[in-house]
Amino acid sequence: MNRRTQLGQAAQNTLWLLWLFLLGCAQAMGQDSHTVSGTITDKSNGETLFGASVLLGGTTIGGVTNEYGFYSITAPAGEYTLRISYMGYNEIQMKINLVQDLKNDVEVSEFSTELDEVVVTADEPERALLGKPEMSVVKMNMGTVKQMPVVLGEVDVLKSLQMLPGVTNNGEGTGGFHVRGGAQDQNLVLLDEAIIYNTSHMFGFFSVFNADAIKDVKLYKGGIPARFGGRVSSVLDIRQKDGNNKNFALTGGIGVISSRLTAEGPLFGDKGSFLVAGRRSYVDLLLKAAGEENSVSFYDLNLKTNYAINTNNKLFLSGYFGRDAFKLGSSFDSSYGNASGNLRWNHIFNDRLFSNLSAIWSRYDYDLEFAQDEFEWVSSITNYNLKYDFKYYLSDAFNLDFGVNGIYYDFDPGEVNPTADTSPVNPLKLDQKRALESGIYINAEHKLTPSLTLQYGMRYSAFSRLGGQPISEYANGQPVVYNSLLDIYERGEAIGETEYAKSETIKTFGNLEPRVSLAYLLNEDSSIKAGYSRTAQYIHLLSNTSSVTPLDVWTPSGPFIKPQLSNQYALGYFRNFLDKAYSLEVETYYKTVDNRIDYIDGSDLIGQNTIETEILNGEMRAYGLELLLRKNEGDFTGWIAYTLSKSEQRTLGGTAGGPGINNGDWYNSAFDRTHDISVSGAYQLNDQWSFGTNLVFQTGRPVTYPNGQYVYEGLSIATYAPRNSDRLPAYHRMDVSVNYKPRKYENKRFKGEWVLSIYNLYNRKNAASISFGQNLETGANQATRTAIFGIVPSLTYNFKF
Amino acid sequence: MKAIKKIIFAVIIIVFASCEDVVDVEVQDGPTRLVVEASLNWEKGTAGDQQTIRLSESTPFFGTGTNTQVTGASVVVTNDSSGDEFVFVDQGNGEYLSTTFEPILDQSYSLRIEHEGEVYTATETMTSVTDITDIFQNREEGFNDEELEVHVVFNDPEEEGNNYLFKFHREGDLLPSLEVGEDRFLNGNEIDWWFEIEEDEDENIEPFQPGDVLQIEMYGISRPYYDYIKILVEQLGGTGLFESTPVTVRGNCVNETNPENYAFGYFRLTEVVKASYTFVEE
Repeated sequence: MNRRTQLGQAAQNTLWLLWLFLLGCAQAMGQDSHTVSGTITDKSNGETLFGASVLLGGTTIGGVTNEYGFYSITAPAGEYTLRISYMGYNEIQMKINLVQDLKNDVEVSEFSTELDEVVVTADEPERALLGKPEMSVVKMNMGTVKQMPVVLGEVDVLKSLQMLPGVTNNGEGTGGFHVRGGAQDQNLVLLDEAIIYNTSHMFGFFSVFNADAIKDVKLYKGGIPARFGGRVSSVLDIRQKDGNNKNFALTGGIGVISSRLTAEGPLFGDKGSFLVAGRRSYVDLLLKAAGEENSVSFYDLNLKTNYAINTNNKLFLSGYFGRDAFKLGSSFDSSYGNASGNLRWNHIFNDRLFSNLSAIWSRYDYDLEFAQDEFEWVSSITNYNLKYDFKYYLSDAFNLDFGVNGIYYDFDPGEVNPTADTSPVNPLKLDQKRALESGIYINAEHKLTPSLTLQYGMRYSAFSRLGGQPISEYANGQPVVYNSLLDIYERGEAIGETEYAKSETIKTFGNLEPRVSLAYLLNEDSSIKAGYSRTAQYIHLLSNTSSVTPLDVWTPSGPFIKPQLSNQYALGYFRNFLDKAYSLEVETYYKTVDNRIDYIDGSDLIGQNTIETEILNGEMRAYGLELLLRKNEGDFTGWIAYTLSKSEQRTLGGTAGGPGINNGDWYNSAFDRTHDISVSGAYQLNDQWSFGTNLVFQTGRPVTYPNGQYVYEGLSIATYAPRNSDRLPAYHRMDVSVNYKPRKYENKRFKGEWVLSIYNLYNRKNAASISFGQNLETGANQATRTAIFGIVPSLTYNFKF
Repeated sequence: MKAIKKIIFAVIIIVFASCEDVVDVEVQDGPTRLVVEASLNWEKGTAGDQQTIRLSESTPFFGTGTNTQVTGASVVVTNDSSGDEFVFVDQGNGEYLSTTFEPILDQSYSLRIEHEGEVYTATETMTSVTDITDIFQNREEGFNDEELEVHVVFNDPEEEGNNYLFKFHREGDLLPSLEVGEDRFLNGNEIDWWFEIEEDEDENIEPFQPGDVLQIEMYGISRPYYDYIKILVEQLGGTGLFESTPVTVRGNCVNETNPENYAFGYFRLTEVVKASYTFVEE
């Protein structure tokens, strides 16, 4: 398609959406109806519930609660039965007489109130979701997460998500996660709306999310709603608990690696609540006791408090602070971590218009100290984010989301500071970079007929790379040049630089990001859904290693680095069967990403001030089929997830000339997994005993192996096959867990629980990497496998009172 | 900085008692190519007229010691300014020898090899090196603060852009160790370069002991050669989780006849200082 017809097509599509939009508004205006609205909370602790389903019995009119537990339903005047249901909670039915607008806050109670362990016995939202155009979404219940077997007893949201289709990691002991063949930096990870730049503790062994402080987890693998922007692969939206506003409670656990304690309780009478959760590892203490000089450790702190000014205004303050440290003898000391804070104001303008204003700050930084060489290396990324989001419940068939946001970024890629006069190292400061990313969006959820619902919206994002730094100029404008004689890419010749003042803008970008999806109910038990979304990403994580490390730095788009642009198409079939005890979700997707950074052979990113001389702009494509079969009811619950997928990338020479990286051929991205099967099961024997198991099988990670050798300088030098054209052996393992809750005493608030987990039960030595080199004694070439976890049993004790 | 990623890996291994073992792996077979080891090293204070160029062929990665020497090639090095030619004579064992070479600092030279009807060429400049001012031993520094390490001290020249190649070979060890350095963060300073051997029980390698004799060579290298040898040395240490995707490193030898059939190896001209150090009891 040429550009002209593309534009024509876009204009036509826009007009079509506009027409629908006006139709929706007109429908909403022309009715004599009333609204029932309110907040749904948990009876035991006052936590608001996100995603609870609210339905008018006998009609198709209904909705789900938003992130703050708020719902609003508009219907013609009349008598109705309001049915409220939420996964793991008792359904509530109440008669309402809708002759005027009603305010109706509802408290619901859990089936089981043991230690927040929500057993998935009913899956109401799943049923309701059949008709909702939301697809490619995974919502994890914290109860399910806590029941799954885990390594070293650390309950881990990110690891649990990897048991679902389309989500993988890069092997044990590596950070982050990959969604639908995307890279780690293509995930937007939000903790109470604050951007978290590094999701791992201990280089990836554990996630930074303390399960005790988290209320819910939602992962958008595709069909990303228009209110989110900035990443092309996924959005992981994690919300912290608000804190118990009924009574004071302590929750905690003692594990092998770390211990945790959470305190929560009411504040200002019944007007507010607070939560403070802390977690600390003690491997370092054990290592120290064992006389080991090297150590690693982490801790984190979650804070949350809220205050209801009145029924229409509520303030929330939340914070996170986490840090890792590692130390190698007396020569090397380092620490890194995220910190964030968010002040929110929920304001209900009227029973149909909900709003939230957030002011958010977050930061990631690291600090390395080289005692011997007497210098330190520091680096950070900081952002300030202002967001104003609205949800307008116009009618039972038409809802609108709209809002604006702006993020100011401050990148400090690296600074070297000598720590003594005798240091052999000179001070150095890489150019500080600044940028402003803004977005404005509107999105409609429009029920056209009882069985067809459409969601359509548009986001406009803009990015300005701000001045205050010099930008290098290169001969012929090429920071990377192709050396045709040697067939390699080399750094371009710098011929000068332009200094930009802080008031100047170096480069701006703008992108329209349409998002459209539909759900069509085939019958009461099945539906098909389809979606298209376009997303833009303006900041990039620089990493030329097979796994990202905590020391990789983020860089903004600018004169040499273009924003990543993604198009994703998805089609799905959803079905509940056998009296809704089982559900089946099948989805296929096709995704492309333009302007994905790729690294020239021999790129050097460490302390690199001119990143543009090390990279070329490439592209990615990924496609796959995902199957999820779940059993939602009964003593035995669980799922089977299967993903068949492909993820590739290609980087052509472009203006730098030459064929490109890897000869300009498509090659497997490091996140390509042909087959990925995960089975997770939980069995509730009785009130005391329950059991869990995980089974995982994955095609090995693409890697690059040697394809020859030669002798040079008395050493065997390996030559290598094309990028990622080999694979590690297949990854598989089985985990089991046993939970035991001692019989509880009447009238005692204290409840305890033992969790025994065995990770990798049959002790498979899964290769995290295979490394090739010469045996120092014999001189023969050999392959060395590194396996991170063998069989790992662990025991954890959890308590609550 | 590169060491950091090694450190991370080391800490992981220590903390999680992870295991490493040697396994059988099937690898692909790439094309066989000519390997040019044309390292014209001029030891400071010598005439530098005796120079050797080695030619061989690449083999499969797990190939066992087949004869890879290349004989019967014609090898000539030319001074690009004067046009003086130095013919390297085939010794019949893969080595080609010249006894009349005239090294000149900062002089550009060209290499021309004719082998099996194909012509390979390369151009490079002779690069100087500063003197080693001190060599001493210590225990505190290094990855392990209980084991001995050697310190090589030298003054990096004022002007920016000095690059170094170090070759350490302990007598009795089968393989030498290579390290590369640049003056990017250190320009014009006195540099203390340490080297330590880590214990490896599986491969029967011990840290330095009093009495050990270590041969030290410090080369001044050109920037293109630094870019080449740096990747090569990085990849020698294996390619683990936190290493860059490994690549076949292209040297500077171009096949004029058939560009696809390029040669491995490098034509380099370097000045070198050599020293020997014997570890003593403290």
